[in-house]
Order: sequence, then structure tokens, then C-alpha cells
Amino acid sequence: MSNVLRPYLAAVRSTLTAALTLENFSSQVVERHNKPEVEVGGSKEVLLNPLIISRNENERVLIEPSINSIRVSIKIKQADEIERILCHKFTRFMMQRAENFIVLRRKPVPGYDISFLITNTHSETMLKHKIVDFIIQFMEDVDKEISEMKLSLNARARIVAEQYLTAIAT
Amino acid sequence: MILLESHNVIIKTTLADKINKPSSLDVSFVDYDGVRFRLSTPERKTALLLSMQIRCWDELVRYGALDVLRREYGSLLKDQAEGEYNVSMEIDLEQVPAGAEDREAFIDSIALFKRNALAAPFELAFKTQKELEEANAGQGDLMQIHYRDEEAIYVQAANDRVTVIFSTIFSDETDRIFGKVFLQEFVDARRLPAIQNAPQVLYSNRDPPLEIRHLNLQKSEDIGYVTFVLFPRHFSNPAVAATTISQVQLFRDYLHYHIKCSKAYMHSRMRHRAAEFQKVLNRAKQENTSAEKKTVRFVASFI
Repeated sequence: MSNVLRPYLAAVRSTLTAALTLENFSSQVVERHNKPEVEVGGSKEVLLNPLIISRNENERVLIEPSINSIRVSIKIKQADEIERILCHKFTRFMMQRAENFIVLRRKPVPGYDISFLITNTHSETMLKHKIVDFIIQFMEDVDKEISEMKLSLNARARIVAEQYLTAIAT
Repeated sequence: MILLESHNVIIKTTLADKINKPSSLDVSFVDYDGVRFRLSTPERKTALLLSMQIRCWDELVRYGALDVLRREYGSLLKDQAEGEYNVSMEIDLEQVPAGAEDREAFIDSIALFKRNALAAPFELAFKTQKELEEANAGQGDLMQIHYRDEEAIYVQAANDRVTVIFSTIFSDETDRIFGKVFLQEFVDARRLPAIQNAPQVLYSNRDPPLEIRHLNLQKSEDIGYVTFVLFPRHFSNPAVAATTISQVQLFRDYLHYHIKCSKAYMHSRMRHRAAEFQKVLNRAKQENTSAEKKTVRFVASFI
């Protein structure tokens, strides 16, 4: 892990740990409803200040806490067209499987690539620090995976071109 | 298998099989670029009729495909093609060469049916180039082969080279971007000393190259143009010319085949990675500790 990445991930980790203090909270608007307040946004007093942690202009994390839920949105680094398409494919692949990844949101928040929604139920049924671990690991691996895929695409393209031209040249 | 084969596997295996054991059959199958084949025995078990339908047949005939096929297959070629098909040939299994090697060569040449038909414009261009070289000036006609619905090959001879231009369509954005990466490598690969003799490859996206600009082709972001510049060293020797033609013909299929392969590989990687993330998340789940709870009893022992 590079030296720049470490403080970034450490900041995300401590912010998430601090923000994951969730409690059960029934809706104040509709009786006998219990919804993630950060998604509904119906009662302003239960929302906390959203926070953005940026590594640079292309990579940032938005953390929106509320009384019974927290939304984490990640913007993944996309340096060029290939990375953009690979990132799009990868996040879409994950989000199509959102029911398996209980905390994953099916759609990202506008301006971000992927979003997670952690509710108080999740924090009760799952270990809090392990959820944080999961998100940190995701952030770490997704960059690695995308750059590896890009490298393998380039390597394949080179071999393909060389083989073809060798066949003609000889 | 990195390079695609120019022969048709079905023709090859079926023919080898039927020579050993003739029986009646009727199979239809396809090859790249929507070429359709039919192999049947209409009259007797030992007379195979092989028919081919190819989209750009009229254009190929104009560029001398019939002459090339007649040269390759001689009397096997039938004057009248089977209905729905463009060209037919009849193979009499009783007159197949007897020696194992001869027989193999015969089967191979039949399996190259499509390749030979498509080779005509290239052979014509190579011939024109020789004539122009002697005259030392001028340019040959631009030959257009619309071998797919919206994609075409353009071949033009000049006094010192033959230019082959492919237009190709990338059906979605991923294909377009992957295609760009691949084609860039084709352009760059020539820097390697081992393949310095390879034809020059140029690539342009959206705008057609100068040679075909006057055709007023439809402009779109999805279209790419690949130009191969073949020099006399690529076709002066007949054997070299044959490999060059076989390879150049299949360029578009080769490119798209590898784009699709890359996509499949990315997909399997993502599947694997998603499974890994799933494992990490599962670690967060608390195990159901439904083990029987035992009451701890405090036993007074202060007597």
C-alpha cells in the first residue's frame, strides 16, 4: 500500500467507525414505519452533517450519517477511457448482485460510482468493525483490480498484434 | 489458439469422414461473415455437393472469383449453382486421390473454399500492382467488397504498394474502447525488430482514410478504419502471398474474436473478485450462537 493511500484509508476507517453509532428509530412522519432516515430525508433533525474525504479530485468518499442509517459513497479513480469502462463494468457487476452484498445499494448516489447503505439492523446483526473492514478492503482492492485488468488487456492486445503481424511478415 | 484458421473445420472433418465411409448426408453450416454452406448428397452416396452462399458474391465475381475457383478446383466446380446458393462444387468420393498425403492436400484445398473465393480481389490487386510497377505510375481501381452488412474491405493497388482498408463497426462502447487499445498495439507493434517487415498498419476512428473519402461513407463514432499497406515483399513470392491473403482476410474476425475473449476474461475476473468480497462481508456476519445456555449457579460455600 502506498504511503498516500494509507492516511486516506485510515481517515475513512476512523470516520466510518465513529459514524456507525446507529439505533432503532421509527419514522416520525408515517406511523409504524421504520425507514433509513438518510434515504428518506423526511425529518431534518435526525440527519447529521455529511462528510467528504478526498484523496485527490478523482477519488473521494462521501459519508452521510443519520440516526438509524449511514450511506457511504465511493468515487473510484478513473484516469482514462479504459479505466472508466472497467470501473463502470465492475461496479455494475457488483450492484447487480446487491442482494448478496447486504449493505450494497443498487444505485450509486449521483456523482459517485458505488454506494453502501448500512442500517441499524445491519449493525446489530453483523460485527461493526468487520463491516468497516469490508468497505476498506473494497476500496483497496477495487483500484488494484482495475489496474490489473487494464494491464492484462494491454498485454493481450500486444501479443495479439505481434502474433498477427509475425504471421504476415514471415 | 491465437491465430484463426482460414479453412472450414466442418468441411474438413465431414469430408475426411465421408471419404472413409460414404453415407448420405445433408448438413447446412456457417462460417465467418455470414457465409453459409450446404453439404449434401442429392443423387448418390459418393457424390457430395458443396454449395456456398456469400454476401458479396457479385462483387467477387467482378474481381475474378470464378477464375480463382476454377484454377483451384478445376472440373469440380459446377456451372450451375444450387438454388439459394452462389456457387457449388461436386466432389466424387470415388475419384479422391489415393495416397494419404495427396488426400490430405485435397481435403485441405476443399476446406479453403471460402478463403479462395475471397482471395480473388487480393490476387487481382497484386497483379495490377506488378503491371503498374512496370508502367511506373498510376493507381488501380478501388475494389469494394461488402462482406458484411455494414462493413467492407477496400483494396487498391498502386505502383509500389497495395492498400487494404477495413471498415469495422464496434457494437457497443466497451468494444469500441477495447478495439482502440488493440488497434493501437497493431500500430505500435512494428517497432519491434522481429516484425519490422510486417505491413504498415494505420488506424483512424470516425474519419475514413483519404483513399476512400470520396465514397461519402456514413460518419459515426462506432466505425473504425484500419489500413494495411502491403509492399511487394509481402506478395512477390506465391507462398508468401498466399499466407498474406489468408491472414489479411481474417483480420476483422481476428480482432473481434480477441475483443470478445478479453471481455469474457474480464467477466470471469470480476466474478472471482465479487466472490472474494462476498467472503469478506460474510466474515462480518455474527454466527448464530444457538448453543444451549447453561445457568450458572452460585453455590454458597461459606459454611
